[in-house]
Amino acid sequence: MISRRSLETGTALLTGAFGAAVLVSSLDNGIGWSSAGVDAGTFPFVIGAVILLGSVYNLARGWPGNDIAALSRHDLARLASLFVPAAIFVGLIPLTGFYVAATAYVFGAIAWHRQRTLVFAGFLALCTALALYLIFELTFQISLPRGLLGSALGF
Amino acid sequence: MENLEALLHGFTIALSGNHIFLMLIGVLLGILVGVLPGLGAPNGVSLLLPLTFGMQPVSAIILLSSMYWGALFGGSVTSILFNIPGEPSSVATTFDGYPMARDGRPTTALATAFGSAAFGALAGVVLITLLASWVAQVALAFGPAEYFAVYFLAFASFIGMGGSPPVKTLVSLAIGFALAAVGIDTVSGSVRLTMGIDELVKGVSFVVAVMGLFGIGELLIAVEEEFAVKQISSKVEWREVFRTIAGLPRHGWVLLRSAVIGCWMGITPGGPTAASFMSYGIAKRLSARRAHFGHGEPEGIVAPEAADHAAGTSALLPMLSLGIPGSATAAVMMGGLMIWGLNPGPMLFVEQKDFVWGLIASMYLGNVVAVFLVLLTVPVFAALMRIPFLIIAPLIVVICTVGAYSVSNSYLDVLLMMGFGVLGYLFKKLHYPLAPLVLAMVIGDKAEDAFRQSMLMSKGSMAIFFSNKLVTILVLLGVALLVAPPLLQAIGKWRTRPASGD
Repeated sequence: MISRRSLETGTALLTGAFGAAVLVSSLDNGIGWSSAGVDAGTFPFVIGAVILLGSVYNLARGWPGNDIAALSRHDLARLASLFVPAAIFVGLIPLTGFYVAATAYVFGAIAWHRQRTLVFAGFLALCTALALYLIFELTFQISLPRGLLGSALGF
Repeated sequence: MENLEALLHGFTIALSGNHIFLMLIGVLLGILVGVLPGLGAPNGVSLLLPLTFGMQPVSAIILLSSMYWGALFGGSVTSILFNIPGEPSSVATTFDGYPMARDGRPTTALATAFGSAAFGALAGVVLITLLASWVAQVALAFGPAEYFAVYFLAFASFIGMGGSPPVKTLVSLAIGFALAAVGIDTVSGSVRLTMGIDELVKGVSFVVAVMGLFGIGELLIAVEEEFAVKQISSKVEWREVFRTIAGLPRHGWVLLRSAVIGCWMGITPGGPTAASFMSYGIAKRLSARRAHFGHGEPEGIVAPEAADHAAGTSALLPMLSLGIPGSATAAVMMGGLMIWGLNPGPMLFVEQKDFVWGLIASMYLGNVVAVFLVLLTVPVFAALMRIPFLIIAPLIVVICTVGAYSVSNSYLDVLLMMGFGVLGYLFKKLHYPLAPLVLAMVIGDKAEDAFRQSMLMSKGSMAIFFSNKLVTILVLLGVALLVAPPLLQAIGKWRTRPASGD
């Protein structure tokens, strides 16, 4: 179970870290006014400071009285059932290439929930790969990555 | 009158069998690239460009511009059905279009969008017909200060209207600005905010962020809330399409206002994206049904769609008359113009009358063809909504992934897209508004550039924003939009107090 407080805190820390990174990074470009006008880092510096201060405020505001459940164990399981396979799919792309990863992902995701037959899942997965090839590779000439598997097989 | 005669002559050119066939092909291909996220009108037009080298310039521009209309219409389809805007300019359509479709009225939402879009586009073409020569002068008066004022106006009309906590809105807006600044700084040429990742020099693409924030983020929200697609009747709802279109005049005032905003932004050229956001913001402010916005309010679809298409259409005018492309697509088309041996600019209207008026006539016809074709496809798209969530979810993930990859053939973009997905989920869950982030990301760097260029011109003096009538009016209008709502609220409270005291 995850409380609303932890979610608020986590998000504020995330945005705060981003703000701090922007702030520090902008110093490399110089801030203020020079012979070339407003320096390139000035605007990001101000923006970074706004994000950082805003995140600190959100962090302070998100703490009190938010000790209520935001996500139950059941909710988390459902979120994971969508996100984990998707993350594995994205992780597979550099290894197996786009087509194999997409086919395996669509087949796996549909077969997992057992609402349709395996034949249907396989059919849909192959259709997905075919449609990707026809639209991107043939029609619009965008070459999708073949991955390590593709280069090993010589595509 | 002279213009009308020229237009009639243009119709005789555009109304040939060959040209109507090219329009059909162009519109259909346009709808396809518009529906697919990641691929947009600029991609489609670039890919078709080599095919046009052997054609007559008129035929070529008819094919390319028809594709542009098709893409503009197609972009609204995915915004409404899946909350994934196919084009930056259709982001504002998701705010009310998607809730309406999710509540079981996808046909109504799509028909409302297409109807208003057609109205906006026609308003744009009529404007071009009547004001072709005059408008060019307005656009010439635009310098950096005026550009900044227009972007400021777009922000001002959109900010401070949502019900989100103000500091969360501010953080979201600032993150958008920071993301827009990543990559090469166009004013100084230096590389900014890449955090040591060389590939980020190209910047963070808007499409990648939007597909993560809206596409993946929305999937996560939906799966957590045990998304159950409401059973939508499987009949082809033609009657609903016609009833919706027939009911559009009820929003006549909103349509007209949005078309005016769109035309203004298209010519100046603030662009279709700024236009649609601004029109949505103003519609929400002025509407009596303000509380319904964001929950499937028809006017929330009418306003951005009409403005988007009015701006998209009228943006071709500065391209033709001045050689200043108002959008990426217009830039590609201008490249085409030069390859066909034509010189964009004021002389085009004098030297190439057939070309210019043939194109303008084809804009009337092309938009009619686009509305007709896209309405025919409504039942097909509406049927997509009936596919069970468990099956459509992995397909949406695949489409978002391939879309993010195809933006610049980069795997890093796919990883970024997944990251934006998690961020989108967290933001939505904790009531951080996403719209300011997207708006800042799309026009943030342009606004910053315009501001810095104005500062260079004025040597650091803010007086440049009040140096002539045009820019002063724009700036004051923006300030008024920022200040008016809280002020009116305060006055309202102050007025009711003595009354309640009696």
